[in-house]
Amino acid sequence: MAQANNSQPSYPTREEVDFVIVGSGAAGGVMAKELSVAGFSVVVLEQGPHLQAADFKHDEWGYDVNNDLTWGARKGHPQTFRKTVNDTAETRESVLGYAHNVGGSSVHFSGNFWRFRPIDFIEASVRGPIAGTNFADWPITYDDLEPYYTKVDWEVGVSGLAGPWDPPRSRDYPCPPLPVKSSDVLLERAAKQMGYTPYPAPVAILSQPHNGRPGCIHCGFCNGYGCEVNAKSSSMASMIPLALASGNCELRTGCTVSRVNTDESGRANEVVYWEEDGTEQAQRAKAVVLCANGAETPRLLLASASSQHPDGLANSSGFVGTNLMFNGYSTAVGLFDEPVNAYKSVPATRVMHDFYELDPSLGFYGGGGIDARHFSAGKPMEMALSGGVLGGPSWGSEYKKNLEKEFTHTAAFDGHTTSLPLATNTVTLDPNVQDKWGRPAMRTTYTDHPDDIATMKFFYEKTMELLDVAGATKSAGFYAENGQEGNVHLLGTCRMGNDPSSSVVDKFNRSHDVENLFMVDGSSLVTSGRGQPTMTIMALAFRAADNIIQSARRGEI
Amino acid sequence: MNNEAFSVLSEEEAQEFKAIAARIIPTDETPGATEAGVIYFIDNVLADDREAEHEILYNGMRELQVAAARGFNAAYFFELEPEQQDQLLREVEESPFFGTMRFLTIAGMFSLPEYGGNRDKIGYKLIGFEDRHAWQPPYGSYDADYAERGE
Repeated sequence: MAQANNSQPSYPTREEVDFVIVGSGAAGGVMAKELSVAGFSVVVLEQGPHLQAADFKHDEWGYDVNNDLTWGARKGHPQTFRKTVNDTAETRESVLGYAHNVGGSSVHFSGNFWRFRPIDFIEASVRGPIAGTNFADWPITYDDLEPYYTKVDWEVGVSGLAGPWDPPRSRDYPCPPLPVKSSDVLLERAAKQMGYTPYPAPVAILSQPHNGRPGCIHCGFCNGYGCEVNAKSSSMASMIPLALASGNCELRTGCTVSRVNTDESGRANEVVYWEEDGTEQAQRAKAVVLCANGAETPRLLLASASSQHPDGLANSSGFVGTNLMFNGYSTAVGLFDEPVNAYKSVPATRVMHDFYELDPSLGFYGGGGIDARHFSAGKPMEMALSGGVLGGPSWGSEYKKNLEKEFTHTAAFDGHTTSLPLATNTVTLDPNVQDKWGRPAMRTTYTDHPDDIATMKFFYEKTMELLDVAGATKSAGFYAENGQEGNVHLLGTCRMGNDPSSSVVDKFNRSHDVENLFMVDGSSLVTSGRGQPTMTIMALAFRAADNIIQSARRGEI
Repeated sequence: MNNEAFSVLSEEEAQEFKAIAARIIPTDETPGATEAGVIYFIDNVLADDREAEHEILYNGMRELQVAAARGFNAAYFFELEPEQQDQLLREVEESPFFGTMRFLTIAGMFSLPEYGGNRDKIGYKLIGFEDRHAWQPPYGSYDADYAERGE
């Protein structure tokens, strides 16, 4: 359990620290840094190891099959899935995917960072309610969050180009965009020909040195992999080192949290967890911040049920674990005459948001963004496994011969779209299946709303059209026609709101029910946005930290 | 090939699976699964807690041998001519057995060599993938052209 070169404090578990943070991911990393730099005593509990740049490899078998980072059933963490409550939940290797390590999924994300736009926060008012959904406004506006988006840009590290395509911003990007890839040139030319406005994709990947970290070396293994040079702005690379350098933060890795306990007055007072060898510990705390992600945070609250909180901790609304949203997705792959080599460098260097809000006259709600990528995220094995994607045999000599062209002469135009919040899409505790610790496994109940599927279909058709205009000699596309059965975007399950009967946390991410308990991560989101939610998650974390610090200094926690 | 020992595969399984893999990614103008050592990858990963997959492969192998006997009077799949082998494999193309073999063969071709396959990075070379850790633009034809035209 090697630590960074800082000496961390060693807080006794039976003495209160100011804050216990559960999870060191996108939100947890930001929280840890803000609170510890502000002078508070902080213990961070992270179930995974502290993997760093030198630990990462281009290991498809390890990461994508053995799930070395994302830990599934093979590692003692099965999950179950059913489409509706009327179906039997099946055990799967994984359903809600996320990386188990310091930095969480911000270690393996693609790095695409899209700010939400003003419309995202008020869309329910503008569009009107959507029957059968919990479509609602946020309790905050874009203007409330903008200063924190800017903080993410500069402190976490985002590369991009400000322009009329951006939502309003108070400051420029700290780093210029990454060099354009052939896949994006194809998209840009086709998009411009059709009258659209493609622009440099904002990414949490440094194009040049910033904050003491180097610029990207374009190795091509961003998506699903850890960055070997710390150019990708995970919270592990950008926030955790600052937290550890403060001298106030103790990062305990290999620690799996089982429950949050409360005292007789209903305040959270300790966090119970297992160390790697199974020893149970309980860290006392003055306040608790859950940043375990949109799957694990509601799971932990449900597992912390007690006689005071029979439906789960902080769940008087009944909303804990509900409104689970993924984002939607479509892909269209095209074959081109010349080498594209989209497997090199970052996933996407251009994006277009001309279809951010689809015309209501289409008859369904939705919207999204389109970018250009390599169809297997630049990964040889994955590409070969889906070989024959452009027609052609899937094994044998001809299959083998086609592989080179498929790897080097293709570009994929991808749609990233909205998901609606449904009360019936949930994360709950499975009554039958347990994980290696004996905890009830996470059970996902999920069916995409018809509007979500219609939106994915729209983007699939639009990207096939773009491929045609771009000059693809062959093309094939996909979208989840029958609905998605899992995702790595885990959103909405402890949503923010002003009304305690229909939300779990208030507009400062404080639990409505437990005054010293905060939840901030993907679970906080009220609407799904158009994809790439991590930027918003980090901005929310900065904002929540800001308010927590001020409240704590006023003695209000 | 050489006499490296297998940890979970029997000699017979190794012969048969190697022959199947050689039809999935054949040796022709370029090297295939045989040269890449895919059979060693398969042995390694089956040894890693994959008894269920191993059973699927074993049962599939036996059924293939029954078909070989019935169709061509051969005791083993690996004894057949390539065209005969392809014919039998086409008949089971949709089966979980073939799906698993295809998955393991391809994985064995393109995974990191430390897992036993992709010897001398034969797999990477096949698809024009240089496993380098750093690139500089221009990456491909279209961005080179874009830069030249100052778009």
